[in-house]
Amino acid sequence: MALSGMLWPRTVDEATALLAEDPDARPLAGGATLVAMMNARVLEPHALVNLGRIDELRGIVREPDGGLRIGAYTRHRETAASALLTGTGAVVRHAAGQIANATVRNMGTIGGSISFADPGLDYPPAIVAADAEVEIASVAGRRRIPAREFFVDWYTTALVPGELVTAVVLPRPESGGAAYVKHARVSGDYATASAAVCVAAGGALRAAIGACGPTPLADAEVDALLSRDRSDAAVTNAAARLVALADPLDDVRGSSEYRRLLIPRLLLRAVRRAEATTAEAHA
Amino acid sequence: MSAAVTETPIATLTLDVNGEPVSVRAALSTTLLTTLRDELHLTAAKRGCNQGVCGACTVSIDGEPMRACLSLAQGCEGREVRTLEGLGDDPRLVALQRAFAAHAAFQCGFCTPGMLVAARALLERDADPDDAAVRAALSGNLCRCTGYARIVTAVRAAARALKEPA
Repeated sequence: MALSGMLWPRTVDEATALLAEDPDARPLAGGATLVAMMNARVLEPHALVNLGRIDELRGIVREPDGGLRIGAYTRHRETAASALLTGTGAVVRHAAGQIANATVRNMGTIGGSISFADPGLDYPPAIVAADAEVEIASVAGRRRIPAREFFVDWYTTALVPGELVTAVVLPRPESGGAAYVKHARVSGDYATASAAVCVAAGGALRAAIGACGPTPLADAEVDALLSRDRSDAAVTNAAARLVALADPLDDVRGSSEYRRLLIPRLLLRAVRRAEATTAEAHA
Repeated sequence: MSAAVTETPIATLTLDVNGEPVSVRAALSTTLLTTLRDELHLTAAKRGCNQGVCGACTVSIDGEPMRACLSLAQGCEGREVRTLEGLGDDPRLVALQRAFAAHAAFQCGFCTPGMLVAARALLERDADPDDAAVRAALSGNLCRCTGYARIVTAVRAAARALKEPA
């Protein structure tokens, strides 16, 4: 049945029941993406499922296994300031603090951001590097998928109609360091390219490149190589592999060739910055 | 220019705007900005990009600067909306207005209301911001006239003025 107007569920179950009832109803969180699309007349929904009164979706909590659950409605400002996001988990905090500007960070949420899946967004490479999972709810129940599988294509996620992102869940942060290095034309713009790196104190490294293909660019061999050897030569070799795997657009933010040139530079900077934060943490 | 859209479901709302309950009718796709400007004739907040980029529509919602153009009117029930018109009792705002005038921190003035709302929020949490803090707090507010230097100078001058004994 077609729903109409602004709907205010109080629980995730109520929200998913509404989304199941009307596949054209759209979930609304901070509005930073959806309302901009409505203003541009890309979308003109007749029903919005407002997630703003669902307590479960708000805030960052530690799970029993030490993992960190970032509720889908958690605003960027809160994530950027969270004292829980330490060590390897700090990559998500660093990315949150570089999204758009302070005013938009007061509004936008992690669930809304990743559901948009614009390749130039800051969270996608960060949550891939953090080895996070995305929790998804529907009337059929909940499922968790790796962040890498959540991002499917340009502006396309693994969500199917009736589903809702309820949380991004990070594995228990390891002591170590992390960095998110973003190159943008001006402060607050989408990334022309970005690099997210987590290094555990034991040496294990995970990297992901943003805005250089339909989904965050990550590669198990690159991670394995950089976990063993982080010399300049090793980073150069790893970056060459990522450049070969990249599929960047030519657009107003930069040519595909320019983006390929950025990958080694941003990766090196992110690796060194992550190592430096590791050193600080252990000083 | 009116961005009002009438095809989507209309509701009658009670909004808290500048401390007063106001009753308005708004379509589902009507933004708070359109309601403020076109229904309530509160025209300080400006419609620039309507995409959340330029900051000209910045208002305070629940005490924090937010984009009126990215807020739907129907989503604002139960929230405290304060526009520039409703912030005039705050000494920080008065100090900012005087400093903007004294330092010629505007030319066309289109961005000024958004700048003032964002700068007021900055001074509320940081009474003595340095240049970098001012620039960070206002990085979501575009000015196409001034080159920003005078705006930064004015915000810091306002902070100093607020610390002087009255």
